[in-house]
Amino acid sequence: MRDVAITGIGSTLFGKHEGRGLESLAVEAANTALRNAGVSRKEIGALYLGNFIAGPLSGQEVLAGIVADELGLENIPCTKVEGACASGGIAFRHAVLAVSSGMCDAALVVGVEKMTHASGGQVTQALNCAMDNRSDGPSGLTFPGLFGLAWRIHAAKYGTTRDEVSSVVIKNKANGLKNPLAQLGAELTFDVIRQSQPIADPIQLYDCCPVSDGAAAIVVVAKDRVKDAPDLPIDVLASVQTRGSPRIAGHRDIVSFDATVKAAEFAYRAAGLAAKDIDFVELHDCFSMAEIIDSEDLGLVPRGMGAKWAAEGRTRVGGDIPINPSGGLLAKGHPVGATGVGQLYEAVLQLRGLHANQVKDAGIGMTHNLGGSGIACTVSILKRPDV
Amino acid sequence: MPASAGFVEVLKCSACGALDAGPREICPVCHAPALQPGKVPGAGSLLSWTVIRRPPAAFRAEGSYAVAVIELDAGVKVTGRLDSPDAGGQLGARVVLAESKNGVPVFRLA
Ligand SMILES: [Zn+2]
Repeated sequence: MRDVAITGIGSTLFGKHEGRGLESLAVEAANTALRNAGVSRKEIGALYLGNFIAGPLSGQEVLAGIVADELGLENIPCTKVEGACASGGIAFRHAVLAVSSGMCDAALVVGVEKMTHASGGQVTQALNCAMDNRSDGPSGLTFPGLFGLAWRIHAAKYGTTRDEVSSVVIKNKANGLKNPLAQLGAELTFDVIRQSQPIADPIQLYDCCPVSDGAAAIVVVAKDRVKDAPDLPIDVLASVQTRGSPRIAGHRDIVSFDATVKAAEFAYRAAGLAAKDIDFVELHDCFSMAEIIDSEDLGLVPRGMGAKWAAEGRTRVGGDIPINPSGGLLAKGHPVGATGVGQLYEAVLQLRGLHANQVKDAGIGMTHNLGGSGIACTVSILKRPDV
Repeated sequence: MPASAGFVEVLKCSACGALDAGPREICPVCHAPALQPGKVPGAGSLLSWTVIRRPPAAFRAEGSYAVAVIELDAGVKVTGRLDSPDAGGQLGARVVLAESKNGVPVFRLA
């Protein structure tokens, strides 16, 4: 297998893009990534596009081919990848495989979603396509509900409190204020969070990520072909994908996702690293409680301590392990199919030392993208080449 | 309508005896295409619960409702409902089947 690096990156703002379609967002991000990739369009040998709900919300499929046509790529294989909210991360992994295997020298990854034009009920219904609708779906469960279930168990097992969970929200919202791409950065107080509308007990409004539009793109290139890249190429040390149970009742433990635990284990092994080597992580905080569970599953925070570490400031920029310096899904936004690619975009900026909320001396970064009720997961580890 | 009279409908593998909450195509243990409808007593304990206050479009008409994960004494975990949005209890609390609604088991605190 050949070594692979990220050269080009691009992203739209995450938020509400009124009057713009999926294609417009995807092409904006992808064209930016191609223009700073240091390879020509002719050299792009494959395109992988992460998208989850363009079918139900926009009635549009075959996006990979449409975007490639707009971009003027060759008659290359163009593949849309779907794995719920992990679609973008999975698209990235496929591009890495295409290059590392020698199938091509460069590949384009795009993640895109358009959600804000639909009603809340339509969005919830579309996102529910990520459940096993033979079992959990008929009960009326929703994704906030899943994390409400998890919260009660976490609280019972580890004594986690409302205000400790709010520390995650306050941190990510504050990080989002510093990120020019973020949709919903804010300065929040414990009181405001405590008084926000109930969504799926104990989950309240500020525990949930917003509904977002957006696209992000990345060009991955064989390490021996990066000499023309205008910006610092970032090494891909690991890009791992796993699956977990499609059903709530299929998880051994509702406060841990096997897919994440396994993906982290494989990623550390592939990179020859341990959790202590990670300088920062962009992880899948679709809900406040999700960040707590993810941080523990990734081994970055001791089991049961996810909320307490946030409350103690150990997960903010400058802390033991900065989590979601971008603002995460909670503040940056969650255009579901784009999120995994957006996390990689943020990680590349950190490793180039160019992030608006920079982690000092960031050398090794991790991204974690989780789909459905823990059915699909990707974990990637990136490295600055001089580390 | 307590059509199942205190029993929760599950799947039982006629090859190895494994129980599963279903629906499922083949046995998750021995992979035989031998799953048959079966019933287990509707008694168990509350693993966790939540109240859905923003239902998806298909459930909007119901208003708020409680979803719970129950560990049945028979050794099967099921996702179902509690009989009232105010019904919640301590995790581990005993529950029994109250009724089955559109194939979803609805439990109440025992
Ligand atoms: Zn069997």
